Amino acid sequence: MSNSNLFMKTGFVRAPLQNGVGRYVCQLQRIVFKFCKSHGGSRGLRDFIEQDLVDFAKNNPSVVVYLKPRRHRSAVVVGEYLNGDRVWMSVNQKTHSEITKWIENLRTQQGNLSEIRLRKYQYTDHPSIQGPWTPFTFKNPELNLAELPNVKFGENNRLPISATEQLRLMFEKQKLSDVKTAE
Amino acid sequence: MAFIRRCLPLLIKGVNRIPLAKQEKSIHRWVAPTLMEFKRREKKQGGKIANPRNTFLEWNLEAELFAFGKRLGEDFDSSLLLQAFTDRSYVIKEEMKQKEMEFAVNMKDNRELSDEGMKFMDEYVQLYLEAVLPKFPKEGIISVKKHLLSENVLANISLHLGTKDIILAAEYPVDNYTLANTFKALVGALYQSSGEDKTANFVRDFVITQLQGQDVNEFWQIEDPWTMLTDLISKTGASIEPRLIGEVGKGTLLACYRVGLYIDKNMLSAGFGESISVAKDMAAREALKKLFGTEENMHPINFNLQIIPKDTSRSQHQIGSS
Repeated sequence: MSNSNLFMKTGFVRAPLQNGVGRYVCQLQRIVFKFCKSHGGSRGLRDFIEQDLVDFAKNNPSVVVYLKPRRHRSAVVVGEYLNGDRVWMSVNQKTHSEITKWIENLRTQQGNLSEIRLRKYQYTDHPSIQGPWTPFTFKNPELNLAELPNVKFGENNRLPISATEQLRLMFEKQKLSDVKTAE
Repeated sequence: MAFIRRCLPLLIKGVNRIPLAKQEKSIHRWVAPTLMEFKRREKKQGGKIANPRNTFLEWNLEAELFAFGKRLGEDFDSSLLLQAFTDRSYVIKEEMKQKEMEFAVNMKDNRELSDEGMKFMDEYVQLYLEAVLPKFPKEGIISVKKHLLSENVLANISLHLGTKDIILAAEYPVDNYTLANTFKALVGALYQSSGEDKTANFVRDFVITQLQGQDVNEFWQIEDPWTMLTDLISKTGASIEPRLIGEVGKGTLLACYRVGLYIDKNMLSAGFGESISVAKDMAAREALKKLFGTEENMHPINFNLQIIPKDTSRSQHQIGSS
């Protein structure tokens, strides 16, 4: 995390209210277009309103669209989401095609995602599938039939070979080769 | 010249000591004071102020209600929908106002709709759970239903369907009780305007799906699993035998025992714990889960049943083990 993220809300990748398990609910509930009727900065937004807004409203009857003309103020789009998030986006000096893409982005996201710092890129309610570990979890099934004490299960072979032991083995090997050469 | 040559290294050393480009860690020392100042200002104005959304200039109740129905993909009767959103507190407040101004407009609140909706949900959720968890006993089904229809769960659903801003209530933001009540009223309004099948699908899609990713056993607290298990098993005529099948670290803090339950020398379940009695209890719980068909690896609950399940007799559901 860098210092610029100090004020960001944190969260996980989640779908709100099991969206899509039952039926899909568009999470954008209302969108407000604020623009000026005469200023050049609102040109792109005015174009969008003239050409695409009716289609947008027709295709998304679940989104309430408000237009708010404001004299000599910059162009702004505000989206409100079902989870209570509010996305304020300045679209001043943006072109028609840019605005179309941004609004598509607002329509398809599920909240104010750009202001959330994801703690992880995955999420699970059940971090363990197998349940808690017990000493019996990975027990060797051979042990069920073994007669104890047993050399096979009793031997201490967990530690790596010691230096002394290594030397001893090397010495043994050398002795063998000495015998061979003598022959 | 020789003097200068002798002094030069000293001079260079001196110059090096004066830092030209200051390096420091970028610790934002302003963060804590800023947050404290924000908090102080918030306290001064008496907590966060939330303005009701419906007092904004950009607000059209009719459009909001239309969009609400479309959002859920349902055709509500518009007057019923408005009634479902009208809380009792709002009606009282309006009547007081009207008395002052000496005129009367009749307003209906959502109490009747909410009662009707709750009654429908109660029946439907019960039937649905019985259909998708056929081996789960009645008490368990009732406790799962109680969880699903609890105020918190319904309020959460209601909030995420966007009722918070539309609700006509005396206060803002509305509390959980009002949110849950409005959701019940919505179900009631849908029942009156679209009929049984559509309402059933609505309840299935928004209420029953809350069980997704949840363990149904957690909603039902079994006090004494061993007695319950022996009762169930003895009904079939078999007898159950607990055996200690593992013990580790006896007499230490990390002792672990494992108990297996056997019916006719066939293992039914196994459980572990820090003492033998706990392990036996855990094994009994595992066995009950197996009998009820709600193991951890159970098939996910079906959220796609189309029809309203018929109330089948529960006799075959009592025990379906062996």
